Order: sequence, then structure tokens, then C-alpha cells
Amino acid sequence: MTSVSTDKLPPSPTGEGVSAPDGPWKRLSAGLLSSPTAVLSGIGLILIVIAVLLAPLYANHVAHTDPFRSGLSAKIEIDGKKVPVMQRSTEGLGLGVTPIGPTWSGEYMLGADTQGRDVMARMLYGGRSSLLIAASATMLTLVLAAIIGVAAGYTGGLVDGVLSNLIDMMWAFPVYLLAISLSIVMIGKTIVLGPIELSSSSLIIPITIIGLVYVPYVARPVRGRVMAIKNSDFVLAARGLGVRRHRILLRHILPNVLSTLIVFAPMLTALNIVTESALSFLSVGVQAPNASWGTILQDGQALLYSRPTVALAPGIAIMVTVLLLNLFGDVLRDVLDPKSARGR
Amino acid sequence: MLTNFLSRLLRMVIVMFGISVITFLIFFATPGSDPAARIAGRNAAPETIAAVRHDFGLDRPLYVQYALMMDRLFITRDLTSFANRGQKIVPTIVSAAPATLSLVAGAAILWMALGAMTGIIAAAFRNRLPDKILMGASMMAVAMPVFWVGEMINLVTQSRLHDTWAFSWVPPLGYVPFTSDPAGWFLALVFPWICLALLYIGLYGRMLRTGIIETYQEDYIRTARSKGLSARRVLLKHATRTAIIPIVIMFGMDFGVLVGGAAVLTEVVFGINGVGRLTYQALKALDLPMIMATVLYASFFVVVANAIVDVLCVMIDPRMRRK
Amino acid sequence: MDLRVTSRRGRRGRALARLAITAAMIPAVAPALAQAQEAHRGGTMQLMAVASGGTLDPQINYTAQFWQLYSATYDGLVAFKKADGPESNTVVPDLAADMPTVSADGKTYTFTLRKGVKFSNGDDVTPEDVVASLQRIFKVSSPTSGSFYNGIVGADDCLSSPADCTLEGGVIADADANTVTINLVEPDPEFLFKLSVPHASILPKGTAAKDMGNTPIPGTGAYMFTSYDANNSLTMERNPHFVEWSADAQPEGYADKIEYKFGGTEESAVNAVMNGQADWSFDPLPADRLAELSTNATDQLHVHAQSAWWYAPMNVNIPPFNDVRVRQALNYAVDRNALVSVFGGPALAQPVCQILPPDFPGHEDSCIYTQDPGDTWSAPDMDKARALVAESGTKGEKVNVVTEDNAASRGVGTYLQSVLTDLGYDATVQTVSGDIQFTYIQNTNNNVQISVTQWYMDYPAASNFLNVLFGCGSFHPGSDSSINIAGFCDEEIDARMKSAMTLGATDPEAANAEWAKIDYAVMEKAPAVPLFTPRRLDLVSERVGNFEYSSLFNWLIAKSWVQ
Repeated sequence: MTSVSTDKLPPSPTGEGVSAPDGPWKRLSAGLLSSPTAVLSGIGLILIVIAVLLAPLYANHVAHTDPFRSGLSAKIEIDGKKVPVMQRSTEGLGLGVTPIGPTWSGEYMLGADTQGRDVMARMLYGGRSSLLIAASATMLTLVLAAIIGVAAGYTGGLVDGVLSNLIDMMWAFPVYLLAISLSIVMIGKTIVLGPIELSSSSLIIPITIIGLVYVPYVARPVRGRVMAIKNSDFVLAARGLGVRRHRILLRHILPNVLSTLIVFAPMLTALNIVTESALSFLSVGVQAPNASWGTILQDGQALLYSRPTVALAPGIAIMVTVLLLNLFGDVLRDVLDPKSARGR
Repeated sequence: MLTNFLSRLLRMVIVMFGISVITFLIFFATPGSDPAARIAGRNAAPETIAAVRHDFGLDRPLYVQYALMMDRLFITRDLTSFANRGQKIVPTIVSAAPATLSLVAGAAILWMALGAMTGIIAAAFRNRLPDKILMGASMMAVAMPVFWVGEMINLVTQSRLHDTWAFSWVPPLGYVPFTSDPAGWFLALVFPWICLALLYIGLYGRMLRTGIIETYQEDYIRTARSKGLSARRVLLKHATRTAIIPIVIMFGMDFGVLVGGAAVLTEVVFGINGVGRLTYQALKALDLPMIMATVLYASFFVVVANAIVDVLCVMIDPRMRRK
Repeated sequence: MDLRVTSRRGRRGRALARLAITAAMIPAVAPALAQAQEAHRGGTMQLMAVASGGTLDPQINYTAQFWQLYSATYDGLVAFKKADGPESNTVVPDLAADMPTVSADGKTYTFTLRKGVKFSNGDDVTPEDVVASLQRIFKVSSPTSGSFYNGIVGADDCLSSPADCTLEGGVIADADANTVTINLVEPDPEFLFKLSVPHASILPKGTAAKDMGNTPIPGTGAYMFTSYDANNSLTMERNPHFVEWSADAQPEGYADKIEYKFGGTEESAVNAVMNGQADWSFDPLPADRLAELSTNATDQLHVHAQSAWWYAPMNVNIPPFNDVRVRQALNYAVDRNALVSVFGGPALAQPVCQILPPDFPGHEDSCIYTQDPGDTWSAPDMDKARALVAESGTKGEKVNVVTEDNAASRGVGTYLQSVLTDLGYDATVQTVSGDIQFTYIQNTNNNVQISVTQWYMDYPAASNFLNVLFGCGSFHPGSDSSINIAGFCDEEIDARMKSAMTLGATDPEAANAEWAKIDYAVMEKAPAVPLFTPRRLDLVSERVGNFEYSSLFNWLIAKSWVQ
């Protein structure tokens, strides 16, 4: 929900000299490895990815449960006694059914949700969706932003005018309307596009929507960067020497744009994880019975007062992941782009 | 100057026109969006639906409907909602605006003050413990979903610890108009302000810190220091002032978006009847007139904030003029 | 825009509270009681809701939220008795001095108006007001104009051109005799029910023939609306011209003022009531507070049965549910006990496997789809269900369940998806905003296979469930208003329903017995999965006394006191 105005900042001097293709990559890996923050947060992120990839293993062998199947009548054994997962209130007026709380053992480690499903197993599966959505949406954003930004910045004139207006429109556009509309359009439909099968339960909808949200956010700085390089003494000199346009684009502009995009990647992924949870909060994200951290958070809201763990767990998972991504992103930016480090 | 202003105005009109057309088209492309049956009520007879459809002009061509809607929104200002029959759109938004403005303005003061403090302190203690603590906290603030924070705040202040001395003063959720009860207004907004400001304190604090550290290394600061100015004076007077420019720019844009209704999650969680919550409810009910009005309202603020920011940029630093 | 968006939880009669109330109603203990009642008079009642109910026009609004308020602000010729429990289903004279005289052929109703009743603007209620009000139902295209009042002579012309509605020959005023005569095309045993709902409220004859929106219309009730802002608050104050004429029809209220605030969240409303900052909240109580409240606030909770059902209509015209075996299989497979858990436990929901709710006219206990078929549901029969699916050869087909985006509906939908998966289908769930879902699932163009929805009665008659939800007349392919969501049209059953309605005019008991058989016959074809009967749960603040519950209007606000 915030905005940047990086395109208004003075052009970065580093933009002018980067021409050797392998220079920045070496510097990148060296820079990252020399920073303990980057190494630790990187390891943390890898661990999270490994954990969510192991979700089926956990569900089958530790929790012994299918996290996508309602377990409203399920029972588990605690201290040798069979206990129902959905516990009916017996005191007072006997209203309400409360799912079992955290057992801190293999089955129902973090308790159950309103459907009597294992929250821990769902957390792992949910992490898969959340990370997949966030990462794919980031890719989508970066690609779209790069195309729009480079086209607007490099071509200038009318194209720039049209694209700049488009960017403004996207920034002010009610994305949730699009989300709601798309989710209704897709009800019970399956669209087959070659190998990709789109249905209402696929992750494509949240990915598309989240991917569109931040396009203006990235496209603006890309456009600014391209314009700055285009007008830099170095490029002007090259053009004076008769170097062709596409060569300038390939040799000078794209590598710089790429580094801007890489700087944005971790930060965007972090933002997208949070946006995914907001979409689920508005019920237009991942559809039941599939899980994402956002939908678990939404389930948890319905249990906030009786079983706060169900809301706390995904909240903490989101926080930790976003934190690690930002820490890593900070270092990445410092390494790639020390001068334009403006805090985000 | 005038041509500049006019071209800005033109651009604003184009953007708002584009958004309204897209919104309109998306609405009619959505299956189940036809409001006639919803307006008519459950189990309405086909004749009743036909009468309602005619009444609301839903049987006319799309471009006529669009023109009529714009006419009733901007000229006659008597556009009524599809979901709450008889509810007039323009007065509803006008009456919701103060709540959003109170929320966003208060939060803005909070985040600017605390954000500046965080940034300056962290820069002053660069790479030492206070810096690390503040930056860690800022990152946490940025990493938490705002509605989740809000729910947790509500859980503690409205229920779990409401009966203790610490939170017994917390009023029920909702907005209290300033004009009817200034003290109640303040109390009701304390936690929404904190919740909304948290993210921005983190963002602005981090940005200010980096900015100060960067400018610290620039030549004229070195000159100031070599001239024997005290470290504190240099930090407060020169370094902070330069570093605050991008923050002012960002502030303009964030403020615009939030006033336009982007504080929706905070408003929903804290039950504040502002523009954001209005947008949210309109979207849930697919109430086209209200969606249209709130979307245009929001885009107006976004576009105006963009324009102001651009002008400010050029004023502060002529080097930034668009080439 | 409709009743079902609203009330979701009910109550189990608490004997003590009810005894006290009954005692309070007995006139024999009058003197001491009158004093006690005088002491309770006054104060301001504080109500809350997350959102308002829309337009304030009683002839248009179709929400349980505002109908509850109309019960104390507007009157019809007749009214549902303002009483606690089943008694609230009886019709009593209201603006009419007595029950109408009905002609032998059942087509002519003559009402004599009460004398001296005034609107809140000071005008007398006259026969002309009655004629104007009944015309206005058509002029403003009231939701029920075509379904409730289309039986009045002249209604057809009114429906086709609302603006020129006269109801010529249908509604005749006689100012000298102070009577109004209503002529029907056909005898209608439910006509007095239809005149008792707020859409037939009597309003001043000068009321504009358009949706009055947020502008209050003067009424005859104990209270009048004094301000309304749909996004903020509503205020009701005593009607200065009100003199109690019948405690059964329109009792005088206790509180001097009723304030209704819109905003906040369901959770915060519970907190506000528990913290003494509000007296009651309209929205269903959040499920995670129930256990806590049922021990902490036993005296503040009121559970009441509702004449309603939650059900999953299955589209009988598209695969896989066009095969009756598949529909029966799902009926066998659904574990109603599990669904009761989703809804807050057995105190709040009762498993059902038939259409008419318990204690409803025409209801006779019967359950076909259970382990041991008989009177009541006992357990799911998965073996039978799997066998039926295998027989139908539809295994592996795609099925999509469309639910609303609230916790309860999503919970039910997710459970159904799980059951369908167990039966071998490729099942998914799709959540749609509640306001849109209800019309979306009705339209055959959207090809919804199965959905989760609810139906609350408009008035206590079996046809309001069976004929409305499964009659051929309420199936309109391609329309958003086709309340026969399953698209179920069985000519033989439809003919039986028609004759049962005719029979009801002369022999209600025989008709109800026939309705019970029709209920059974429809369930044999299984166009829907009955899920459970919801109960309404109300939480009031500690200071609220004398809680009475009407089946149609929920809590009778005017009859409770706050001091």
C-alpha cells in the first residue's frame, strides 16, 4: 500500500560503468558471502523452503493426516484416551464446539482448525502455496515492469506518455474488484491453455492479481533508471560514435535494469506474501480446501478467542519469512547498488 | 507554468476516465453482477424484476448507462446505491471522509514523528546496539500483516485484558466524530493510529537512516565537519535535512493513497466507517455506483498526490526535472 | 436484501426465564405489576450491527434486521401477535378492529378499521390510507408484490404497469362505514399471513410512490424513526400520537429511545455487550466466543428455535446431480453431526433430513437417508452412498460447491467438498461474497452444480417451503430470481401441492397431513441435502429484562426494558 518515487532520484553513477557482463555477478556472490546477515538469512530461507517441500512427508509420517480432508468426527489418542478433535462444550449452556488445542506432539502439534484438520500440516502445505504465489507473482511483476519501464524510458515521447498514464491508472485501480470479478468468472470453469490447466482452485488467480498490484511500483524506477542511462554522457558518447540502438540497449541498459530488478526481487516477494494474506482476508485468494498462510490466518480469525494459535502460527510464519527476505534483500541491494540504497 | 498545470489536469482526467471505464466494464463482465434481482429482493416475480430493471435504467445500452451514471455522480449528485436502495452515494462518501481523514492524519503524525526519531537515533548510533535494536524492530513492523496486528490488538484490549487497569479506558470499536466528543474521538482512534502507523514507522525510519548515512559521506558534510561543527549539529541540521527530501516525497504519495481509501484493512478490523470500509463493503456487494464513486475518489487522491510530489521534486531539486 | 443473510443462530427455551415472563403477562397480578412496569419504563436501548439493513421503506425492505424494527414502528390491518414462542405465529387484528369477515367463497375480506389511531405525523388512519398503501406495494415494485399480493383483483394490471396501479375492484374503501373490502381472484388460506408482514404496512396516503430510501415514513407503531444514516446510526423514539390499542398487536414499549449503531465487527459487538457498552447486537455471535459465553453469560444468552433450514440444493438438470442416485448418495453420505459441529454444536443446530422444519405446520418426523431409516437421522451410510455412486457411473466427475464467504457457510461447503471427494468425485469449493452468491446460484446460466444456502420462513405455512422452493412455478431458467435453485419440477408433485393449497382454505389439518406426504415425496427425489435447523442465539447486556422472541421478528425489542 505504499509507493516509491525512485524515478525522481538522481541517476546513479554506478549505472554508467557497468558493462563487463560477469563483473557484477562475481561481485554479487562475493559480497553476499562476506556478509553474515546475508548468509544467515539465506540459510533461514532455504530451511523454510525445504520444510514446506517436505510437507507430504510430514503429513503422512508424522501427523498421519490428510490436511485437505475435513476431520470433524476425528478422534485422537492422548494419554491412552480417545479424545474427539472437535470438542463440544459441556459447561454452562453447552454452546459452541472448540477444536483441539496444541498437543505439541506429532499429531495436531499446533491443534486443529474449524474443520478438525491438523494446523501444522496445513501450515507446511500453506507455506508451499504462499511461497509459490509470492515468487511467481514477483516474476510476473518484474517481467511486466521491465517491459513497461524500458519501453517507456527508452522510447520516450508518445509511448512514454501512454505508458506513464497506464502506470498511474494501475496504481489507482481497485485491484480487489478485479480479484472478486476473476474469482466469480472462474467458478466451476476449467480453461486449458496448452499444458496449463486453469481452474477456480488453481493458484493462477492470486498470482495474476498480486503480480499486477506492484507493477507500477517497479516500473517507475525502471523507467527512471533507463532514462538516466539513456541521457548519461557515456551513452551519448557511444551514440555519437555510431553504436546502434539495440546494442546500447543490450550492452548498457538491460544489465542495469537487471540489477534494479534483482534488488526489487526479495523485497517484492516479501510484500507479496503479505498481500496474499490480505487477499485471503477478503476471501478472494486461495480457495478451500487448499491452504495458504493467508487462508490459515483467515481460519484462525474465526478461532481467535478460543484457539489463538491458529492465527498466531501463520502470522509468525509470515513475519519470519518476510523478515528474512528483507534482511537478505538489504544486503543484496547494498552489494548491487550501494549508492541508490534508499532504505527499502 | 499554466501549460504545465493544464497538461497535469488533462492527464488526471484521462487517468480517471480510464479507470472509470475499466471498472464499469469489469463489473458488467462479471457473471452474477446484474443487480436487478438483488435490488428486487428474494423470490421476486419476473414482472417485479423487469420493473426494477427499467426503473434503474439497467435495460439500456451500456454507454447510455455509463453516461447516466457519470451524470448522476458529478452533475446531479443524486446517484443511489444498488445494494442499499435509496442510499445516496455522494453524501455517504462525504460523511465517511472525516473518519478516514482522522485515522490517516493521526497515524501520519505518529509515523512521521516516530519514524524520524527512529531514523535519526539509528543513524547516530550506527552499527551499535541501539541501531540494531531499532532496525530489527522496524523490520518486524514492516513484516507483520496490518489486519493481523489489528486483530491481536483487539483481542488484548477489548477482551483478554479489557478489565485490567491498563485497557479499561478503551472504548468499543468504531468511530466517534470529533465534533460530538473530542475526547471520545481521540480514545477511539488511539489503537487504529498505532496499528496503521506501525508499518510506516518501520519504512520511514529505515529509509531516513540510510539517507542520513549516505549524505554523511557527501562532500559538503565533510566540509561542515572539518569546519569544526559539532557532530550533533551536523547530524540534525545538515544530514537530516538532505535525507528527509525523499521521505517528504514518499509521504505525499502514501498519504494520498491512504486518504483515498487504502487504509481499508485497518478500517475493517477496527470497524471505522471510513471510505476504505465503504469501498470494501461495496466490493463485497458488487454495488457498482458505490464502487465507481469510491474508486474515482481514491484515484483522484492518487493522481493529485502524484502531481504534488512531482512539483515538489522540481522545487527542491531542479536536477530532477523530467527530461 | 433478504432474510437469509441475517439470523443464523437460535435458542433453546430456558424454563425459568419463560416462567417469569408468563407471570408478567397475567393480568391478575396487575396492581403490583403495573408499578413494577412503570419503574422499568424509560432509558435508552443501545443496539449494534456491523452494517445497516438498507432502505428504511417498510414496503421495500426485505431484511430480518429491519423487519424487527418495523414490528414496533408500523402496523398492517392485521399483525402477527407480539408474543413469545409459538403464539407469535397467530394473526391478530391490528389497525382493523376485529378479524375480517370472509365471504363464503373465501374471496372477499371485509375489514372494519379501528377508530382514533393516528400516524406519527398526527393524521388519522382512514380507509383511503389502506387503499393507497396496498396500491403503493405495486407502485414501488415491492419484492413480494408479484408473489404475495398478486392474488388481489386488479393486481395483474398493477404488475404490468406499476405507475398506474389502482387495484380497481380489488381494494374498496368505504369511508362512511370505515371499512375496507379486499377481493381476491382465488381463495387464499395464507392471505392474512401476507397482510401481516411489513410489506403490507399501512402508510399515510400522501407517501410518495417511490423508494423513500433513508427518509423515514410516518407510521402508526409505538415508536417512530427520527434519524437514519445507513453508514452510521439509526434512532427510534416514542411516537407522540401513539395510544396502546392492543397489546397483542402493537404493545407500548419500555425504553424511551432506541439507538442503533452500524459499524464495528461481530467480535467487537460481543465485547461491547459484555463490557456493558451496548445492549444487543444483530449479527450472529462468532463461533469462537460461544464456549466462553455459555459459561460466563448464561443469564444474558437466549436460544430460540427458528423456522428455517440450511440446505444444499443440487441442480437436477446438469451432471452429475441429474441422476437421482447421485443426489440420494450424497444425502446418505453427509454426516449431519459433523455439520452441527461446524455450526456451534447441538444446542445451536439440529440435524434434519427433510424439508419442513420441526414444529412447522405440516412437519412429520421422517428420515429416509440415514443408517436405519425411520423418524430421525442417526448416522451416515457410506456403504449405501458408495454403492449408489458406483451404480450411477459418475465417479471421477468434477463437482464444484458454491458457498458464501462467511465462516459457517464456508465450513459447510468445505465439509461437503470433503464428502464428495470421499465418494470419488473431483470436488472443489468456491467462496463467493454472500450478497452475490444467493442470486448467482439461482441462475441456470451459471451452471452451479451444488451450493450451500438457507431459507427462513416468511409466514408459517408449509407451502412457503415446499411450493416456493420446489414448485414448478418458482423455476425460471436464465433468471437471477429462480428460488427453486435445484431446478426441480415434478408435475405430479406440483399438482399435489396445488391441491394441498386449495384444501388448506377449507381444511387446514387435512392439508397439513398432505403436506407431510409431499415433503416425503420430494425427499425421495432428493433435489437437496437438508443439513440442519439453525437456532437463533441472542446475547443481551445485563440490564436488559423481559426478553421475548417472535418467530418472524426475532427479539421483540419494544417489550424489553433496560432499567
